[in-house]
Amino acid sequence: MSDSHVTDKLEVAAETRNLAVVREFLHSAIKRSLLPTGDANKVVLAVDEAVANTIQHGYEGMERGNVEILIDADDQSFRVRIRDNGISYDTATGSAAKAELDLQAHIASGNKRGLGLFIMRKVMDEVRYTSREGEVNELTLVKYIKVPG
Amino acid sequence: MKEFEINLEQLSPDVTLIHIAGWLDAHTFEYMEQTINNLFDEGKVRLAVELSDVEYISSAGAGVFIGTLSASHERGGDIVLMNPTEPVQEVFDMLGLSQVFKFAASPQEALKALKK
Repeated sequence: MSDSHVTDKLEVAAETRNLAVVREFLHSAIKRSLLPTGDANKVVLAVDEAVANTIQHGYEGMERGNVEILIDADDQSFRVRIRDNGISYDTATGSAAKAELDLQAHIASGNKRGLGLFIMRKVMDEVRYTSREGEVNELTLVKYIKVPG
Repeated sequence: MKEFEINLEQLSPDVTLIHIAGWLDAHTFEYMEQTINNLFDEGKVRLAVELSDVEYISSAGAGVFIGTLSASHERGGDIVLMNPTEPVQEVFDMLGLSQVFKFAASPQEALKALKK
């Protein structure tokens, strides 16, 4: 395992007040990784959007559980997995994701939905979702690390 | 510092300055939304929003401005954004909002942009 390998884990209650905790955790992990500084804010934003979606939709109408954020970074990629036990909410391939967002028309109509997903897909190189009945839901976000030159 | 703070100031009889500071995210956006709705209820529909102390914005925060833009136009008003910080500008650019909103660098410029 090389020195550039960074793994870390955070588990927080699925409440929006914890988004700031998640962002701080990410910034700290990014600093220890090889992810270029220029990508740091963007990756934090994309993960914040994903966790916010999980908190707002994943536990709708049921008792709030926890959200787990796992980081696994090396010299090739910065990988974040977001796991929860809530309702399956397919951010990666759901109907909202399939529709190509006409951003200007979307905004002109005052529509605020789907912007988080747009950001996730714009910033990250991979967005994948897995869920099985009765099992943990997992959203994986990957940003490739491009070595200059 | 506090995670999110809003201060209101009357720039002119019909233009309200909303000074926001901190993180405008999925946790704090409802407070911002409620503040703007209260202003609309009072008939205050011409708004200037000072962003120089906003350290972070997510799509939930950006969504407040998108909603406010159309809602203010429906009420015969308008919104001008002032001095976005780098992280805010980055999100606006990503969402194409920099082409949608009017921007001002000072209260005077904002007043000019919001002139009926």
